[in-house]
Amino acid sequence: MAEEKMPEQFSVDPSVNEHEIKFHCENCQVYYGENHAIKDVEVDLLDKTVTAFIGPSGCGKSTFLRCLNRMNDTIDVARVEGTFQLDGEEIYDKQVDPVQLRAKVGMVFQKPNPFPKSIYDNVAYGPKIHGLTKSKAELDELVEKALRRGAIWDEVKDRLDAPGTGLSGGQQQRLCIARAVATEPEVLLMDEPCSALDPIATAQVEELIDELRENYSVVIVTHSMQQAARVSQKTAFFHLGNLVEYDDTGTIFTNPKDPRTESYITGRIG
Amino acid sequence: MTDATAQGAAAAPAGKTRTSLYTLDEGTKRRNAAEARFKAYGVTAICAGLFFLVVLFVSIISSGVPAFTRMVVEFDLTLTQEQYDDAESQVLKTAAYQAVFIEAFEAELNEAGVDAEFDAAALERMVGKTGGIIRSHFQANPDDIGSPVTFELPAASRIDGYFNGRLKREDVQDSRFLMVSDLDLADTLYEAGIIHNAFNWTFIFGSDSGVDNPGGAGIGVSVVGSFFMMLVVLALSLPIGVAASIYLEEFAAKNWFTDLIEVNISNLAAVPSIVFGILGLAVFIQFMGLPQSAPLVGGLVLTLMTLPTIIIATRSSLKAVPPSIRDAALGVGASKMQAVFHHVLPLAMPGILTGTIIGLAQALGETAPLLLIGMVGFVARAYPEGFMSGFTEANSVMPAQIYTWAARADQSFYEKAWGGIIILLIFLLTMNIIAIILRRRFERRW
Repeated sequence: MAEEKMPEQFSVDPSVNEHEIKFHCENCQVYYGENHAIKDVEVDLLDKTVTAFIGPSGCGKSTFLRCLNRMNDTIDVARVEGTFQLDGEEIYDKQVDPVQLRAKVGMVFQKPNPFPKSIYDNVAYGPKIHGLTKSKAELDELVEKALRRGAIWDEVKDRLDAPGTGLSGGQQQRLCIARAVATEPEVLLMDEPCSALDPIATAQVEELIDELRENYSVVIVTHSMQQAARVSQKTAFFHLGNLVEYDDTGTIFTNPKDPRTESYITGRIG
Repeated sequence: MTDATAQGAAAAPAGKTRTSLYTLDEGTKRRNAAEARFKAYGVTAICAGLFFLVVLFVSIISSGVPAFTRMVVEFDLTLTQEQYDDAESQVLKTAAYQAVFIEAFEAELNEAGVDAEFDAAALERMVGKTGGIIRSHFQANPDDIGSPVTFELPAASRIDGYFNGRLKREDVQDSRFLMVSDLDLADTLYEAGIIHNAFNWTFIFGSDSGVDNPGGAGIGVSVVGSFFMMLVVLALSLPIGVAASIYLEEFAAKNWFTDLIEVNISNLAAVPSIVFGILGLAVFIQFMGLPQSAPLVGGLVLTLMTLPTIIIATRSSLKAVPPSIRDAALGVGASKMQAVFHHVLPLAMPGILTGTIIGLAQALGETAPLLLIGMVGFVARAYPEGFMSGFTEANSVMPAQIYTWAARADQSFYEKAWGGIIILLIFLLTMNIIAIILRRRFERRW
């Protein structure tokens, strides 16, 4: 009866395992007050690879994602322990300013959240505050490049002054992706980027994620196992704060080693 | 699972009698009745509110409008150079001018074809001592000597009261202020158009007068007092209030100490204003030695009173900005301060401005604490000499002026008090309109 329809196509790329390690995480713990939300997670995230975090609601996958660019710092009760190394540098080191870290590790959120400003200003904001450009012409060029990478340039090139909030949901999310890549990050974190989108917009964003893999290390949290299978090369399965299994996406979906992973992908838990 | 649902659905009609959609069951009837009753309560409440609002406005306007007009006695007077020289050479100069006035007044009556008996004393009761006014006019404008000049002199407040119905003929008893026969003369002059109604500019631009001169009372000086006081309130409470709210809402750690501050701010908002008045008297005047009755001190006291309102309004509008905007800004690498000042604050602006203007409007209407620091109505006797001295020179404010007038014995001050309320309401209305316009301008959708 619980015969989950398995995706037929995997985004298989056996060469990813030879990519260098971007993020090295070891012995990671996160506490929300008394609640131990992330337990002993150990994972190496690869460069130029899409890594999917899957798992039932409340399993800690979003929490772990937010640790990677220190967004949990904004939550008073959250406490993070363990080793999080980006290119061998500890991101929770006292010398690290989260602002510089977030310029390197961009983030796209679950709900499209463009600023209530023009499309141009949405994308230009990051480069402006980081002083990436010296002139208006340079900034224009950077905005165009970011919007092209966000696969939304053709739709908005004639109305860059229009408010970003006036776009459709899918366009808004691609605008947010363009905004995130405008600061030239090295890692792009995506927290359920398609959960508020219709299937067509989802397909567009997924295609975009696949293109972004050329330049970035992409980490995506998703509730849709089909999506994880379609876009990712590596998959991590979280359950009750533990990282249960981390392997090539094809292996996770066809030949999981842990019984909990198998139960989840076949629809028995979650 | 699917099978179970299908069975359940099939089994249900068997156990129940089939009901029609066209007949209402008891429960539905009760719920509909309750809903209709609730709507009726609401409509009644709104109607009662509107009724009292209308009563309030009608009574304010009908009682206050007479303050904006007054009866004036109008006459032409030509003063020759000889008359001027003659009057100036006498010992009692104003008396000489008084004689000139009576002469001119008689000529005015003849010209209008009015046959009326009057004596100098009756004229004095009606328009007061005019000699001084005439003299000072010609001294200030020597070029007018020899050519006809039209004078409009305010009638005595009792004559004013007689015409606007405040003073009934049957209530008048002969006194040194007014004789019954004066009313006949006034009626005659009114028909002849020599006494007529005119707009009372003195009320708008004048200062407070003595208790025996309601006709000369004006609210202008206390409007200026209110202006300087509100400048102080705005300049202090807006930056302090907004900075405090931003710090508390966006930066401060949530611990027992910030909780304590929050509770105290809420409590301060509920402290009676007279307590702030006593505090101002003790701290600003007695301890710090600032001048009494000064708009500066009034502004300081009202800043203390307005701050909690502004802080509470600002914090709630900061809270209302969706957290996703903060996440978005932090996510592209903005610092916390950049996120607040570039994104959160602009979105919270309409709420902050509305809260601020409500706070300021409250301060503008505040009376009790200002009476305690000496900003009572009778202090408002002259305009400040310069901009800076406007803060420190003794002055009153509109509501305190109104309170002072309302407390005076002379009936004519009563209508001045209502007129002052109209002026105050006009200022408050203007502030509310500004609040609405600013809100519209800053409002953005997201």
